[in-house]
Amino acid sequence: MTWPTEIRLPKDRRALAVSFDTGEQFLLPAEYLRVKSPSAEVQGHSPHERKTVPGKRYVEILEVQPVGNYAVRLTFDDMHSTGIYSWDYLHELGRNQQRYWQEYLDELAARGMSREPPARQS
Amino acid sequence: MPAAKAAVLERLSAVKSPDGTPLPATGTLSDIVVSDGKVFFSISVDAALVQRWEGVRKAAEDAVRGLPGVTSAMVALTAERAAGRGPAAAAPATRGRAGAQTRSAQAPEGVNAIIAVASGKGGVGKSTTAVNLALGLSGIGLKVGMLDADIYGPSVPKLLAIRGRPQVIEGTRLRPMTGYGLEVMSIGFLVEEETPMIWRGPMVMSALTQMLREVEWGALDVMVVDMPPGTGDAQLTMAQQVPLAGAIIVSTPQDLALIDARRGIAMFRRVNVPVLGIVENMSYFLCPHCGGRSDVFGHGGARREAQRLEVPFLGEVPLDLAIRETSDAGRPLVVSEPNGPQAAVYRDIAKNVWTELGKTRGSDRAAPRIVIEA
Repeated sequence: MTWPTEIRLPKDRRALAVSFDTGEQFLLPAEYLRVKSPSAEVQGHSPHERKTVPGKRYVEILEVQPVGNYAVRLTFDDMHSTGIYSWDYLHELGRNQQRYWQEYLDELAARGMSREPPARQS
Repeated sequence: MPAAKAAVLERLSAVKSPDGTPLPATGTLSDIVVSDGKVFFSISVDAALVQRWEGVRKAAEDAVRGLPGVTSAMVALTAERAAGRGPAAAAPATRGRAGAQTRSAQAPEGVNAIIAVASGKGGVGKSTTAVNLALGLSGIGLKVGMLDADIYGPSVPKLLAIRGRPQVIEGTRLRPMTGYGLEVMSIGFLVEEETPMIWRGPMVMSALTQMLREVEWGALDVMVVDMPPGTGDAQLTMAQQVPLAGAIIVSTPQDLALIDARRGIAMFRRVNVPVLGIVENMSYFLCPHCGGRSDVFGHGGARREAQRLEVPFLGEVPLDLAIRETSDAGRPLVVSEPNGPQAAVYRDIAKNVWTELGKTRGSDRAAPRIVIEA
């Protein structure tokens, strides 16, 4: 099983840099992590319950907390904090980043959604 | 004497901010609320500096806790966004969480390895096995602690014949009880035997966390955790709160129990806790009258299951009147009849566990470094 050696949250909080013991390194944008959150809030309890999450272009990661010896819990600045990212899942997100990201963009387009956050009403 | 605000402030002058300024002079303190011996306040800092301030928060909390008349102190670290970075929406209050990033998933200080004794279903003799295993580990010269995580049905106090309540030290911390050389903590010490534990998820988690972290565990080679049966909140909490060094599954040999044992193993595998092996309990019955042997639950089922799932088989414990009697009397066999055949069985299991633990520890993969750039 692949195992991360370092999980780094850069100063701008806009991505997570994950290095694996395989030598692979992935820079996972906060937006990508947020919309692909493994949380039931996003994934539902079966594939057809899965939600497409729009409007997270500028989301930031606030916290990275270890969970046991298998995962980290990420807290985003939209207060989403129920996603527990296992080592396997982080690796999967890294390896399939291009494909998953394109699928997400396609989904947004198909649903008429946007990466931009909704305009603030003042 | 109630702790007055002035006394709290005076205490806090001894706490230094990351750049060395006494805390009350930094302008980060909120109003200090003193109520009934409890002290609350928050420290507000720029979001980017939260990491550096976590130590200050902790120091402030400790300092206030040391005041006479203070029963508890709660200091929150509040992150403020630097001006000009958009609306001041959602300033996240991160009470102790920011700095806990490197701390929350660690074992209590001084505890070398934590192993969980679990079963898929109840009634398979998990607690009896856990207690005798702990004593077996102690018998091979290890310093052993025992945490009774079976909060709904705590049985460790009875199994070890420990009565009384744990002593409170430093206000909120508990000194573990001792029995037969083990350091022991159980919710059973804190509530009456007949009182039911009618608890929901979050309370379960908080009770477990407290027994783990707010108890003055000594330096332990190994802590044996008697888990509640099943695969629920308590199991997940333990797996998430601490890096469990391994799990042991206790099962009786019949299929009905083994199905649940399989679930237990699957759960531990999912959270990357190494399964150290399976113990077959009530493996067979030796008739004390005729000496004939009956495989009441179908002997050998657990061994086959262990092979199938590729986990070590740690040993088999016979269904034996002496085990039941000594358990009920709080005189576990490993110490009351150390030379008996049953004690030998448990000691062998303990040795196997220790060997397996050594193997997984050898190949143990350290948790990744988590670096938060400031």
